[in-house]
Amino acid sequence: MITKRFSLQFIFALSISIFSIYLVFFLNPDGAIRILLNLVTFAGIYGLSAIGLNVHFGWTGLLNFGHASFMGVGAYVTLLLMPHAAGREGVVVTTGLPFFVALIIGILAAALFGLLLGLPAIRLRGDYLAIVTIAAAEIFRLLVRDLESITGGVYGIINYTENFQKYRPSFIDELSDNLGFSASQGWVCLAAWISIFFTVLFLKRLSKSPWGRALRAVREDEDAVRAMGKNAVWLKLQSFMLGAGIAGLSGVLLAFNYGSLESTVFIPLLTFYVWAIMILGGVGTITGPIFGSIIFWVIISETDRLAYLLFENANGQQLAGVRFLLVGVLIMFLMIFRPSGLLGKKEELLLDVK
Amino acid sequence: MLDQLGNGLLLGIIISVASVALSLLYGVTRIVNFAHGEIIALGAIATLFFSSPLDYRVLFLEKFSPLGLNFAISCFLAILVCGLFGGLLEVFLFRPLRKNDVGNIAVLVVTIGLSILVRHLYLLFATGRVQNFPLELQRRQTYLFFDMTPRNFNVLIAGIIVMIIVGLLLTYTRLGKAMRAVRDSEELSSVSGINSDNIILLTWVASSMLAGLAGIFQATINDVRWNMGFLILLLIFAGTVLGGIGTSFGAMVGGFMIGILVQVSVGLPFMEGHAEAKNAVALAVMILILLFRPQGIFGQKERIS
Repeated sequence: MITKRFSLQFIFALSISIFSIYLVFFLNPDGAIRILLNLVTFAGIYGLSAIGLNVHFGWTGLLNFGHASFMGVGAYVTLLLMPHAAGREGVVVTTGLPFFVALIIGILAAALFGLLLGLPAIRLRGDYLAIVTIAAAEIFRLLVRDLESITGGVYGIINYTENFQKYRPSFIDELSDNLGFSASQGWVCLAAWISIFFTVLFLKRLSKSPWGRALRAVREDEDAVRAMGKNAVWLKLQSFMLGAGIAGLSGVLLAFNYGSLESTVFIPLLTFYVWAIMILGGVGTITGPIFGSIIFWVIISETDRLAYLLFENANGQQLAGVRFLLVGVLIMFLMIFRPSGLLGKKEELLLDVK
Repeated sequence: MLDQLGNGLLLGIIISVASVALSLLYGVTRIVNFAHGEIIALGAIATLFFSSPLDYRVLFLEKFSPLGLNFAISCFLAILVCGLFGGLLEVFLFRPLRKNDVGNIAVLVVTIGLSILVRHLYLLFATGRVQNFPLELQRRQTYLFFDMTPRNFNVLIAGIIVMIIVGLLLTYTRLGKAMRAVRDSEELSSVSGINSDNIILLTWVASSMLAGLAGIFQATINDVRWNMGFLILLLIFAGTVLGGIGTSFGAMVGGFMIGILVQVSVGLPFMEGHAEAKNAVALAVMILILLFRPQGIFGQKERIS
């Protein structure tokens, strides 16, 4: 019975996603491919990040509001280990590790940062953990902005995309010539969705393993887990590391999609975006954030029309205002009226904790 | 380092008043209110709207004209607006959530959504420009060993008086006792004849009015921005946590300590040339406090893990 309802939900989510992509074609007769690629790339990157957040919140019940910092650690460590240019003068660093080595170190660094941030999780109740994680993410961002000699501060890091683009398969170039989109973004997009595919595959296996069951048991009843002789603290920390590592990977992809990186990318709003995607897709599910992300980004990319309806000649600030306003409304209304999102199961929600 | 002490006191009074408001609300309702910063900004923006000269068109698009009222009356009206806003939030949003037994974590996420929504409404309708109250510029003077303008000195004194009044009200009036009773146990207080819904509504109104006052202080000392509440929100959390979450007296002292810490840390040797990171110091202190003395300096020991 439950499986049947779940599959109905799945078909529902899938059809909404397909419909929203169709909507993009319908609303943008010209240049739909370019808009769509941009949207699908962001959807892939943010979806991957939301999958990581779901390991924290959906599986283990950890209220993490510092997700942007995990993405940031992954991105900064990876980029700084490769050839790049940084800072006001654009100091060029020509030596560095090859992309894949740097990427793995970046992901490990994000996981390690997750371990560090996870340490308070052992001691703190939900709402306190929310404050601690958001504060830690702000400390990270302020430090990155401040340590200009290393991270480039507000001037950021540039000239690093080639490290990744040199692995671009040639069929993307052929496709981009025919369809008229940016080849480099096409490669980032493909990489993001390959990452999502393997992450989902990995997590599906993991969630059925004894480890995954123990993790969900931590969410439901920590004392019972202890009574069964499992180390609940270590399980929480492992969950923090796993989710942070996934977020680190998505941060690297985000950096390659932007083409230049500075500290303002990792403001708390980034975390809230990922939260909105996770709740929309379904807390506690594995594939939910993917659909959530696609629908979310279609909404986001089409809000400019709404802004032009409200304000004649809307400027960039007003466009952004309407966009973020909608994110706020989305988070609020989902949480009030449908906290389980598109795919979630109500029984698996850890929201009624007092 | 001493020359920063005056700035520290001024930042301290803002955080202190706002922390008392946050702590009061948390104590009675157990809501960690991420939209607190937006109520602070409402206080400042409403004052700006009431008091700006009639021909002033930068704020509020082209269509609306400010009211050009006397500044003191504007402040008073703005605080009333904040109280009304808080009351409406309770009646139309948080009371229904409470009646439906929505959990604390869900409510926390709702306040985050609310904060994003309201903040960007300010961006749309009060523009992204940095603006100032229509007050004349003043020269700094020396009080004891602090340098500040006479107006800021008045703000400091006014803030301290307000907090003494709040403390007295909480300790001695029937309402204050009822608030503390609801804080300790909603069920027991209902049994002893306290209408907890009314008390929670009054708490929302009082907390929002205090937050609005903090916003007016912040705008008088610094300036009015659409995101001024969110910029200071984490410092307010830090102040609340440092003093002991849910304790009013603790929040007062904690707020002052965070304000002074932030400004004085600019003068620390290892912070030389890193003035931008001063907020990070306060946040780090907050995390350490939560880890090692989660009840804060003045909080009672209570299991919060």
